[in-house]
Amino acid sequence: MSTTTAQAGTPGAGQDAVVPKAQGDGAGPDGRRRDRLSRHNLSGWLFSTPFLVLFLTFMAFPIVATLLMSFTDFGLRNVTDPLSAQFVGLDNYTKLFQDDKFVKALFNTGYFVILGVPLTIGSGLAAAVLLNSGIDRLRTFFRVGFYAPVVTAIVAVAVIWRFVLDPSEGLIAGLGHQLGIQTPDFLGSETLAMPSLIMMAVWRNMGSAMVLFLAGLQAIPTEVREAARIDGAGIFQEFRRITVPLLRPTMLYVAVMTTIGFLNVFEEPFVMTDGGPSDSTLTISLHMYREGFDFFHMGYASAMAYVLFVIVLAITTLQLRLLKDKTS
Amino acid sequence: MTRTKSVSVAATVVVTALALTSCGSGGGEQVAADKKQTLTVWAMGEEGTRLKAVTDEFTEQHPNITVKVTPVGWDVVHQKLVSAIAAKKTPDMAQMGSTMMGEFIALDALEPVDTKTFKKSDFFPATWDSNVKDGTAYGVPWYADTRALYYRTDLAKKAGIDKAPTTWKEQQALAAAYQKAGAEWGTDLQPSSTGAWQSWVQYLYSAGGELIGEDGKPALDSPAAIRAFTEWAGYFKKGLAKKTFTPGYDVTKDFGSGKRPMFQSGPWMVRNIDDQQPQIKNKYKVVPVPADKTSTSWVGGASLVTFKNSAHKAAAEELTQYLTTPKVQAEWYEADKALPANKAAWDEPALKGGGDSLTTFKTSLDTAKAIPPLEKWNEYAAAVEGALAKISQGADPAATAKALQKTAEGLVG
Repeated sequence: MSTTTAQAGTPGAGQDAVVPKAQGDGAGPDGRRRDRLSRHNLSGWLFSTPFLVLFLTFMAFPIVATLLMSFTDFGLRNVTDPLSAQFVGLDNYTKLFQDDKFVKALFNTGYFVILGVPLTIGSGLAAAVLLNSGIDRLRTFFRVGFYAPVVTAIVAVAVIWRFVLDPSEGLIAGLGHQLGIQTPDFLGSETLAMPSLIMMAVWRNMGSAMVLFLAGLQAIPTEVREAARIDGAGIFQEFRRITVPLLRPTMLYVAVMTTIGFLNVFEEPFVMTDGGPSDSTLTISLHMYREGFDFFHMGYASAMAYVLFVIVLAITTLQLRLLKDKTS
Repeated sequence: MTRTKSVSVAATVVVTALALTSCGSGGGEQVAADKKQTLTVWAMGEEGTRLKAVTDEFTEQHPNITVKVTPVGWDVVHQKLVSAIAAKKTPDMAQMGSTMMGEFIALDALEPVDTKTFKKSDFFPATWDSNVKDGTAYGVPWYADTRALYYRTDLAKKAGIDKAPTTWKEQQALAAAYQKAGAEWGTDLQPSSTGAWQSWVQYLYSAGGELIGEDGKPALDSPAAIRAFTEWAGYFKKGLAKKTFTPGYDVTKDFGSGKRPMFQSGPWMVRNIDDQQPQIKNKYKVVPVPADKTSTSWVGGASLVTFKNSAHKAAAEELTQYLTTPKVQAEWYEADKALPANKAAWDEPALKGGGDSLTTFKTSLDTAKAIPPLEKWNEYAAAVEGALAKISQGADPAATAKALQKTAEGLVG
C-alpha cells in the first residue's frame, strides 16, 4: 500500500484512519508528517509528468534553444552539424534594424495592430450589445453568424475573401459594375492591400470578442440597469455609465488577447498576398517564417522571434498597467 | 493569426537539437541488391500517389525488394527533407525538384551518381546539368518540364494575326493586337511574388544571358540581362500585362475566357486546359518561346536522388535505372503527363503520336538551359523576384539590375 503503513508497522485494515488521528493528537513524529507530504507529492508529480514532459520538450527547451540560436549564425549547413554554428554575439539583432524589410514589417505590423485591434473590439462589443438587447428570435442565428468565421479554416476564409475582393469577378467589383463604378484592385494595390487584410482579420476575430463581451454583459445585474432607468438614464447614458465600467475586466482581457494575436499576424498575408505587393503586407511573423524556413537563416529568424517577443511583452505590460488601474 | 510562427521556428530548433544527440550512422553497412529489403522512397504531390503503380511493376521483377512510396506535398517537402537530414532519418531515395538540388548537394546529403550506369548522353543536356556540381552528378534526371508559349489562335485570327509569334517583337505585337481586339490583358505575366522568376528566365536565356556567368559569379547586370529585364518590363509599361499579382492565381480560366489569351508555362498546362476549358480545344497552340538571339527556354522537372546514409544504395540504383528506362519513362508520361528526361523514350509510341504540343516541348528541351544548382537558390530567386517586382512597377531596369547583381553576389560563393 503506502510507505506510511510500512513504517507504522501495524498492518491491517483501518490503518489509514489511524494516521490522521495520530497527527491530530500531536503524537505523530515529524517524520510521519513528511511522509504524508511526499506521498502527496509523488502522486502530484506523477499526474503532472505528462504535462511537464510536453512542456519541457516543446515549450521550455525550444524557448531556450531559440535564444541561444539567436546569438549564432545557424544556417542550412549547420543542420547536419549543429555544433559548427558560430557564436556571433548580438550581430543578428543589430542586423535586424539595418534590414529594410524588417523595418517595413515592423511598420506594417504596427499598422495592422493599431487599426485592427480597436476595430475588432468595437465591432465585437457592438455585436454583443445588439445581441444582448431584444431580438430574441434571431439571437442564435446572429451568434452563429458572427462566430462562424472564428472556427472556419483560414484556407476556406481565403477563398471567400478572394471572391469578395477579386478585381474582375469579385463581389465588390460586381456590385460596382452594376452601379457603374470602377472598383479598385484591393489586394493588388500597395495602399489598399493592408486595409483589406485588416478588414478580413476583424471579420475573423470579432466573433470571439463578441462571445466574451456577451458573457460579460449577461453578468451585469439587471437591477443596476433598472435602477439607472428609473433614475432617468437614456440608452447612451446607461451604456456609458453602467455597461462600459462593468465590462472593464472583460475589455482588458479582450484587448490584451486581441493585441497579442494581431501582433503575431501571419495567416492573412500568408494566404492572401504573400506579403505583397512590394512588401506592403509583409509582417514580422511572415518575414520570420521566410527567413527561417525558405532561406534557413535560423539564427537570424530566432533573433527576430525574440524581438517580437519583447515587443509583445512590452505592449501587453503597458496595456495591463493602463487598463487595470482604471478597473480597480 | 492564432498560430504563432515563433513556435514553429522553435520546433525546428528542437529537431535540429535532437539531431545532436543521435549519433551519425552515415554510410553504414550496405545491403546487396539481391537481398530481401525494403526501399523507402519520397515522392512529391500527385507523383507520389501515381508512382505506386509503377513501382508495383518493379517489385514483380524484383520480389526481394519491397518499395514503400511516401507522397509528400510540394509545399512541405523542403522542410521535411531538411528535418530528415538533420535527424539522419532520410528515406533511401527521393524525387528532388531541379531547383532544390544545389541546397541538398551543399548539405552533403546525396550520393554521387554512378556514371558507369547512368550516361549523360542518354538525357537532355539541361536535365542532367541541373544535378551537376563541380563535375559530379548527384541525381539522375527523371522527368523534365520546360516553358513554351501558349496562345489563342482563334482570337489571334480575329485580331488579324494568323502566324505564331517567333520573335520578341512579334510576341509583343500579338499581345497588343489581342488587347485591341478586346482582351482584358494582352498576355499573362507574373509581375512579383514567389515564382515570378519562372516568367523571366526564358527571356534571359533567349537574350544570351546567364544566371551564373562563366566566372562563377552572378551575371544579372550583363547587357543581355538588362535587355531581358527591359523586354519583360515592356509588357507592364505598355499596359499589356497586369501589374499586380494575387497568390494562387491560375491563368487557365482567363485563358479559356479570352481575358488573357497568351502566357508562357510548362507542359502540365495542356492537361489543365483540356480538363477545365474543353471549349477551346483546337483553338490554341503551344509554340517554343519567341526568340531574341535564340529561342532558349529553361528546364525544370525532377531528378531521382539516393541519400548518402541509405543502407540500400544498390537497390536504389536498380529502381532508379528501372524508372529511367525509355519504356517506363513512356509509361510515366501516360500516367503523369510528365515529359521523359531520357531522350530515347521519345521514340516510344506513347510520345510519338502525342501531337503538336509535344513536338514543341521536345524541340524546347533540346535547346533549353538548366537552372544552375545553387546552394542558396531560394534566396537567389527571391532576390530576382524582388527586382522583377520593382521593374514591373516602373523602376529602371539597368539600375535595378545593378542593385540585384550586388545582392546576388553575396549569395553565391
